[in-house]
Amino acid sequence: MNGLSAQKLKALQLLTQPKDSQLISHVNSCVHCGLCAESCMYYVATNDERFVPALKVDLLSTIYQRYSTVTGKFLPRLVKARELDDATIQEMVDLFFGSCTLCGRCTLHCSIGVDITYLVRVGRAMLASMGFVPATLQSTVNAALQTGNNMAIPTEDFTSTLSWLEDELRNEVQDPQASIPLNQPDVNVLYTLNPREPRFFPLSISAMAKIFYAAKESWTLSTFMYDVTNYAYFSCNLEEAVKIAERLFNETTNLRAKRCVLAECGHGSRAFRWEAPNYLQKLFSFDTLTSVELLAEYIREGRIKVDKDKNQETVTLHDPCNLVREGGIVDEQRYVLNHTTTTFVEMTPHGLDNLCCGGGGGQLSMSEYGDRRMKIGELKAEQIRKTGAATVVTPCHNCVDQLIQINNRFKLGVNIKTLAEIVADALVLDQPAVTPSPTQKA
Amino acid sequence: MATMEIDGRAFEVDGDGFLADPYIWNEEVARLIAKYDGIAEMSEKHWAIVKFIRQNWEEKGMAPMIRSICQVTGLRLKEIYQLFPLGPARGACRVAGLPKPDGCV
Repeated sequence: MNGLSAQKLKALQLLTQPKDSQLISHVNSCVHCGLCAESCMYYVATNDERFVPALKVDLLSTIYQRYSTVTGKFLPRLVKARELDDATIQEMVDLFFGSCTLCGRCTLHCSIGVDITYLVRVGRAMLASMGFVPATLQSTVNAALQTGNNMAIPTEDFTSTLSWLEDELRNEVQDPQASIPLNQPDVNVLYTLNPREPRFFPLSISAMAKIFYAAKESWTLSTFMYDVTNYAYFSCNLEEAVKIAERLFNETTNLRAKRCVLAECGHGSRAFRWEAPNYLQKLFSFDTLTSVELLAEYIREGRIKVDKDKNQETVTLHDPCNLVREGGIVDEQRYVLNHTTTTFVEMTPHGLDNLCCGGGGGQLSMSEYGDRRMKIGELKAEQIRKTGAATVVTPCHNCVDQLIQINNRFKLGVNIKTLAEIVADALVLDQPAVTPSPTQKA
Repeated sequence: MATMEIDGRAFEVDGDGFLADPYIWNEEVARLIAKYDGIAEMSEKHWAIVKFIRQNWEEKGMAPMIRSICQVTGLRLKEIYQLFPLGPARGACRVAGLPKPDGCV
């Protein structure tokens, strides 16, 4: 490894000296059966063989061979071993960042169980350690690290937005006691948001606030840390991912909330619920759950009353990869839709085998690859068109944005909604007079 | 960087169609970007939103909160989403010539 820069040595360490044998097994096991090709939206949409997932594994494997095997070190051409030189790095950037949504469909279809998505993340981690994260993605991570939320919303703007939404809520439910509580300690639920909600799309905040009101939940938002996203999960810079996760962990702990409820956000759910205990090497003393599970729980336990006749248009469901294929949350959103809409139709395929929206893995933020993102989005558009649905529901704000774009580009003419918005539309509230308030008591 | 062509005019844009140089923006450019998105004619309401976003960006270096857009223009949220089908960020901010905001937009 003589002659390699310190950055390259650090990147190679991630590949050749992992903490356990998992990586070594996965990187060296591909049998080139080719079954993964048809599972990848990039390959299907473009027919470009460079995008076959097995070749992404190969790229990593040939670098591994070069620096970790005797043949690779001394007779590199014999095993097609590759140097970690500039050309290799450029190819890594294009394949690991530029043509993968981390959707995990290739992993699901791999004939021998190679965790291809995990290998792509290792590839991204190597690039992150060498400073090759695409600028647009890094800029979103930096905003979160520097300001506490990935859209750099000043606290004053955040609080005034919530105060505005609180007024709207009071008008809507006709109860001056209805509220959006801020920074309350000892509550059941610390709720989180995707910053795009307060910045541009607050209907989902209003929807959740109305649902919490109907469920008589003890809840709060924190003005200090409310961002459910963790874009460092996409850039695969572990150190930065830990910092972001630690903030939400600390805030939930400081406020002594019993549950940290993650807003409708696929990667945010994955990063905090399933990755953060590993990031932080800690057992969490509070429960972490997604708002999808909470909504199902409210309906199942009768905490809220819903009337499905209030949502009579045909509805279909888009499954966010991180929540469904990676997180295993498959039935809850269907349970909710079956109780809040009259006509729910599935896409083909759906559930664990669903197609990505095309904007996952950080693609939505990476303008560098915007054309490819829209190209693979056409597959999703056709899937939606075939359902004949008027409304597409998805429990992920990242998917919502991609769906808005393909709706416009491919002229689908559908409405895009979050699950909370559908539930809020179906809510049956108690009569206002029944709700006790401090003034009425006095 | 990519090039976006509308009505015989060409603009340097990023991969998401946001102007590469926000300072080449003027009302004609706004009309052309809107047309590209399927907004055949910019109404008074469109202009009220776009001009406020532009002014906020020139003064504070960022897009305004949706709350301010509603309060300054007097428009309801759902009306804004109808006026700009791509939403306030990829729709209105792009027409206003801003760089692409960070995050899930």
